[in-house]
Amino acid sequence: MFLPDIPEAAVWAIYFAPLASFLLIVGFLWRRPLEAGRLTIFAIGLSWVLALWALDTSIGLDGEPAAFEPHAWFTLFDLDISFGIRLDGLSAVMLFVVTSVSLLVQVYSTGYMHGDTGYSRYFAFMSLFTMSMLGLVMASSLLQLFIHWELVGLTSYLLIGFWFHRPSAAAAAKKAFIVTRFGDFGFLVAVVLIWVKTGGVFDIAEINELAAGLSAALLTGFTLGILSGAVGKSAQFPLHFWLPDAMEGPTPVSSLVHSATMVAAGVYLLARFFPAIEAAPGGVHTTIAYIGGFTAIFAASMGIVMTDIKRVLAYSTISQLGYMVMAIGLGGYVAAIFHLFTHAFFKSLLFQGSGSVNHATGTFDMRLMGGLRHSMPITFWTFVVGSLSLAGIFPLAGFWSKDEVLLDAWHEDKILFAVGVAVAFMTALYMFRAIFMTFFGEYRGGEPAESHGDAEAHDEHHAGPHESPASMWAPLVILSIPAIFIGLVAFLDFGVLIEGAIPEELRHFEGVHVDGVVLVASTVAALGGIGAAAAIYFAGQPSPDVLRQALGPLHRLVERKYYVDEVAEDGAVRGFLYNGAGRAAAAFDRVVVDGVVNGVGMATRTLGDGLRRVQTGQMQAYTSLYLVGVVVAVVVLFAVSGDVLER
Amino acid sequence: MSVELGHYLAVSGIVFGIGVAVALSKRNAIAVLMGVELMLNAVNLTLLSFSRFSTAFGPDDEPLTGHVFVVFVLTVAAAEAAVALAMAVLVYRRRETVDLDRINLLRW
Repeated sequence: MFLPDIPEAAVWAIYFAPLASFLLIVGFLWRRPLEAGRLTIFAIGLSWVLALWALDTSIGLDGEPAAFEPHAWFTLFDLDISFGIRLDGLSAVMLFVVTSVSLLVQVYSTGYMHGDTGYSRYFAFMSLFTMSMLGLVMASSLLQLFIHWELVGLTSYLLIGFWFHRPSAAAAAKKAFIVTRFGDFGFLVAVVLIWVKTGGVFDIAEINELAAGLSAALLTGFTLGILSGAVGKSAQFPLHFWLPDAMEGPTPVSSLVHSATMVAAGVYLLARFFPAIEAAPGGVHTTIAYIGGFTAIFAASMGIVMTDIKRVLAYSTISQLGYMVMAIGLGGYVAAIFHLFTHAFFKSLLFQGSGSVNHATGTFDMRLMGGLRHSMPITFWTFVVGSLSLAGIFPLAGFWSKDEVLLDAWHEDKILFAVGVAVAFMTALYMFRAIFMTFFGEYRGGEPAESHGDAEAHDEHHAGPHESPASMWAPLVILSIPAIFIGLVAFLDFGVLIEGAIPEELRHFEGVHVDGVVLVASTVAALGGIGAAAAIYFAGQPSPDVLRQALGPLHRLVERKYYVDEVAEDGAVRGFLYNGAGRAAAAFDRVVVDGVVNGVGMATRTLGDGLRRVQTGQMQAYTSLYLVGVVVAVVVLFAVSGDVLER
Repeated sequence: MSVELGHYLAVSGIVFGIGVAVALSKRNAIAVLMGVELMLNAVNLTLLSFSRFSTAFGPDDEPLTGHVFVVFVLTVAAAEAAVALAMAVLVYRRRETVDLDRINLLRW
């Protein structure tokens, strides 16, 4: 638009800058943490600048894909594997989101991780993560996308388990990796399915073009496989339960990986294959929409009862991702990406705010906080901005995107609309519950004595909480700006940009509408949620304890996260995987695999043991056998061809 | 009755049989060697007989192949006898016996 079109090499540089940073840190800066941090910021800053250029180019093309040819990678028999860049409205926006949030998170991390013994390792992993995420977003081939998808999963594992000396962090990392693996299995099936049935068409655009011509069964299988991958990565029900545990990672990681970017990859995947999903039978749409809708309300209910501020945000993330998935299922492609876009900024802001609070108090438990608005004004105000945006208050960013999602629901499915409005109410409720518990009332002492010295509390114990250093509050302030204003991009042809990525016949975004019913419903729900939070957690009328008593078993059910963890861990993992499938596999290995191997060995040994008895050392015995052999040979020779003598 | 090829072969077969019997049944290594010599000479006799009665190049043109072969066999047999007898002497010096049943170190 303003600049000449971006050359392909520059787009590749977006990807290779963080990779170079990772390699340089691992190679040279392992013992020089300050340089490692600065290098990461520099590399991602470079990516950010180039991503802006890419975005500019894409806006100039109205979101239509830039003409970059794929490059041959390798050929295996008759299968040509290629890789390339897909730069269209969707990926340009994602590049912008990922690099922006990542850049601010890196700056924030220099303050938050200050003095950590793994500082260099942290930035190496963050660079690797950013590279993987950028590679995922710009991939032109399904295989390329899948590789980065897995790389993102790996770096997520490494970052959740960053403080691996804490057993809970190590367990959470493992859980996240294994649970998402279930989803990835479905994705892999989809990849194999498309490979087998199309004879090796991996180009995403080609797959989307072919989709309409595929059989309904194949298309259903493929899209459900894609959905399965998205459900795992985007923490949708029933694979949602890894994300709250992933909060064991450092808070900037949660801010980048587990709120703004990686978990959005599932939604991005669905959006990337939106034409294929649209071509799929109606049942697929309904499945996607209801998984999203159910996850949204299910997670929001748990967000209300959590006492750990990061877990509140984690459930909020799951819930908002549910909105996006629901929107995709309802055909609201633009609404889903729009919500992903705004959500990335304000949720990253909220996570960084919670990290700032943790930095001051040494805990994430809101019951130990309170009254922080006086000592941490910047954190307080930015957190309020993020919460208002998330709650969808006019005219903040979250309002516009959430209303787009609700509008699609209103047109397509009234049940999901009701769910969406209920979620809006709950969102406002849990966010303002968090605000009132954290920032209002009396300060309740912060970090409990027994957990002092825990890795996340780096700085020395201090008399009272105080504002975080500038490297931490500056990103908060910067992120508040998009959290307020970025929703207005909807008036700037955002829809055109995003829809450039899909074929013309699927484009039906007509700019921002404000539908009266939707507007009133969502605003009333949000204000109602804030009011309810104020009544219960600020005024204490009715007080939280009374409510807890009144709700009794229901409260307990939600507080125990609907026992999903128990069912998943004790039932599915211990009961089925360890004791059932695991034991069966172990038995198979022991009996069949080991049996064959040992059997071959034993048979050879026994045979040799028997045969060696022939070797008696008696020379005449050998000669006798030899004679017998000659006689037999001669007899056989005569029997076979009796005319030997006649010739 | 003239002496034909068959007679020679019969004699040769009988001598060979005796040789085999001696070689397989005697315990004394020297006796076994003698049996082996009998077998070799039986074979030599066969070769010479075939050569003598061959008509491959016409009725009066006897091929020399058999004769040449026999000379080789004799040479090799002489060498073999020398080596084998030397071995027998060496074994006797060490083991005080030439009984083949007791010379069985190369076994399992």
